[in-house]
Amino acid sequence: MNEKELKALVTDWRVATLIILVVLSVIAIYPHFDDNGNIATNLQYGLDLQQGAWIQLEFKGEVVGYTTDQPVDTFVSNLSKQLDAEVIAVDENHLEIRKLYNQSELEPVFTAEGGTITSYSPGVSKATADDVKLILENKINAMGTKDAKVNTLTGFNNVARYIRVELAGVDMKQAQDIVGKQGKFEIRIQSTGNNTEHVLSGDSITSVQMPAQEPPGSDKWGVGFSLNEAGATAFQDAAIKYGATTDPANHYLLMLLDNNTVYSAPLSDNLAAQLKTQQIRQLFASTGTGKTGSTQATDLEIHLRAGALPVDVNIAGSGGTSAPLGERYKAMALLAGILALITVGFVIYYRYREPSIVLPMILINASEVLILLGFIALIKFQMDLPTIAGLVAVMGTGLDQLVIITDEILHEGKVPSPNLYLKRLARALSIIVAAAATVVIAMIPLALMDLSTLKGFAIITILGVLVGVIVTRPAYGKVIMQMLSK
Amino acid sequence: MGWINYNIEKYSPQQLVVIPLVFLIISLILLALNTAATGMPVTPGIDFSGGTAVTIITTDTSAQLQTTFAGYPLNDIGDVNNGKFLKFGTMTDTQYQSLSQLISQKYPDAKIDQIGESFGKSLQYQAVIAMIISFIGMAIVVFLSFRTFVPSVAVVLSAFADMVMTAAVMNIVGISLSLGTTAALLMLIGYSVDSDILLTNRVLKRQGKLNDKLMGAFHTGIIMTSTTLAAATALFVVSWFGSVQILMDISAVLLIGLVADIFNTWLTNVGILKWYVLKGGGK
Repeated sequence: MNEKELKALVTDWRVATLIILVVLSVIAIYPHFDDNGNIATNLQYGLDLQQGAWIQLEFKGEVVGYTTDQPVDTFVSNLSKQLDAEVIAVDENHLEIRKLYNQSELEPVFTAEGGTITSYSPGVSKATADDVKLILENKINAMGTKDAKVNTLTGFNNVARYIRVELAGVDMKQAQDIVGKQGKFEIRIQSTGNNTEHVLSGDSITSVQMPAQEPPGSDKWGVGFSLNEAGATAFQDAAIKYGATTDPANHYLLMLLDNNTVYSAPLSDNLAAQLKTQQIRQLFASTGTGKTGSTQATDLEIHLRAGALPVDVNIAGSGGTSAPLGERYKAMALLAGILALITVGFVIYYRYREPSIVLPMILINASEVLILLGFIALIKFQMDLPTIAGLVAVMGTGLDQLVIITDEILHEGKVPSPNLYLKRLARALSIIVAAAATVVIAMIPLALMDLSTLKGFAIITILGVLVGVIVTRPAYGKVIMQMLSK
Repeated sequence: MGWINYNIEKYSPQQLVVIPLVFLIISLILLALNTAATGMPVTPGIDFSGGTAVTIITTDTSAQLQTTFAGYPLNDIGDVNNGKFLKFGTMTDTQYQSLSQLISQKYPDAKIDQIGESFGKSLQYQAVIAMIISFIGMAIVVFLSFRTFVPSVAVVLSAFADMVMTAAVMNIVGISLSLGTTAALLMLIGYSVDSDILLTNRVLKRQGKLNDKLMGAFHTGIIMTSTTLAAATALFVVSWFGSVQILMDISAVLLIGLVADIFNTWLTNVGILKWYVLKGGGK
């Protein structure tokens, strides 16, 4: 191939796209030497290719569809009493019960209160699951663990049954400690100047409500919480002793979580007056109006719970990989990829015995994997072992399709005229598109479902097929034509 | 490929399909027997039935390990290259915590995975749904791309036979259904129809003698399957050598499935297609 032909080939838009994507991928992967002189890349690894642990928690609660002829408020509060559990209206006809009961246990209680159950799914509402997610993330951040992922697994019916925590760089024991640990919550009161005094600690708080508007519809947000007897006494005593009841503006109340102030405000005039004469067990901390107020209320709710989850959980599954095993798996994965490329190359060579066909095929195949890896690095996808299997399979089937193109174009051993070539390429592509469509369709359920680790695998396989059909096959068609028409 | 002489001119469609048909029936019987025994066509592994899987690097013998883990429901000890693969039954939370402590003391480099029973059940349920949807989706794509009944049925039937035979062989060689092998089976749904689509396309949309077209399709198709086989073999060898259980299972299932696919494409699918063309269809 002379210089002019090479230039024509490289400037062909199909080939140019491929080359640009390969270059971009290398940039995205960014192979470099790290501070210790080891080769490092931007690729991120899942928990079976590096040290880490995962814990999957199952919510002990259920979301129940219901109908009732009673007023909703009384119905809900009666249920809550009967079941000795928090009951929350998710929407017009769904309730979340934050305690594990099966359907047959619930039915008589519903009937007694004048309602019927229309559906039952174990888990909690998406809102509660997101709450739990925030709490766990806060806890993990407080521990200084950077590389963590918390995912709720929400089903099609908007009920979340599981939440999965993945922590890189820690072992199982540490992971369990982090997830199980509670923070230290404290309320203090301003005495004189900048000095503060202890009022009560987190164990005096008996329950924490969800963020709400007070009065309802006013867009003034806050969080209500209840104190036990001792807590309420301590609260009243401190308020009177330090003068907050007479001069609220100079005696702020502060809430601290692990010694960081998370909330500070004066008593309202109304509350100050009430506290002079009586104990108050139901308190409401307001956070402001609008979007800011509502966000702060959510944060405050989490802080008030001090890392305790609004709903009980148990461990549904867990696992961990040690650092040496992770390193070994990574090495094996790399070895498998290289060996696969070599063996596939031998098969192709055995068939065509023509370097000008085999070489482009292998190069295109390798570039496809490279583009895919670039994509993986770019979207910060965590590669795990099933993903590696997917990549190797993409290699095998990617070559399949290059074989289809080659054989269609080389039909009857003759190099076709440009016109015939285009017709044959189009025919080859139509076979490929049909084959690719079946792979994509077969993987879609996995990509949409929350089947644990398989989601990533399915997404990578689908991406691999798409990169192949859209970018690398058309480029190969062009290259092979150029090579053969010499 | 010179060493395979694919000349089926002298065989009738009935003769072509009889061998895979016998295999299909035997496979179905095996799956039915397994369903009767375990409740699932393929024996579910820890991912679906619940339990704990532990990979350790050790020179300890099985007997030594039995003693070490005497207090726990140790069900199975498997050999992997320079280590062992242990399977435990379901345990209580406290039992599991003491087990994971024991393991991290004695074998700090272990990999542990534990799945609770109800979580496993919900995974299994989703996996079954995923497979059914995948298969139906594949069938729809096949029907849409050919728009003729018999050839489409032939492709879907071959894919179905692939799955059934693979599942039956999995039971025979003792590969359980896990998240990894579910992924491999789904891959097979997608990939096994590649060569069928090529075959049908060549036979129905090209000019020429039927036998020439079949031979040409075989020539291309067998290379296609060989490349994927080669990649899966490489994966299997490396994962066996490096004792990476999940990759070993995935690649083993792919290998079994691809061999089944060679049978089903070039006997089952070709048989039905030949019958269809001889009877005057596709002209």
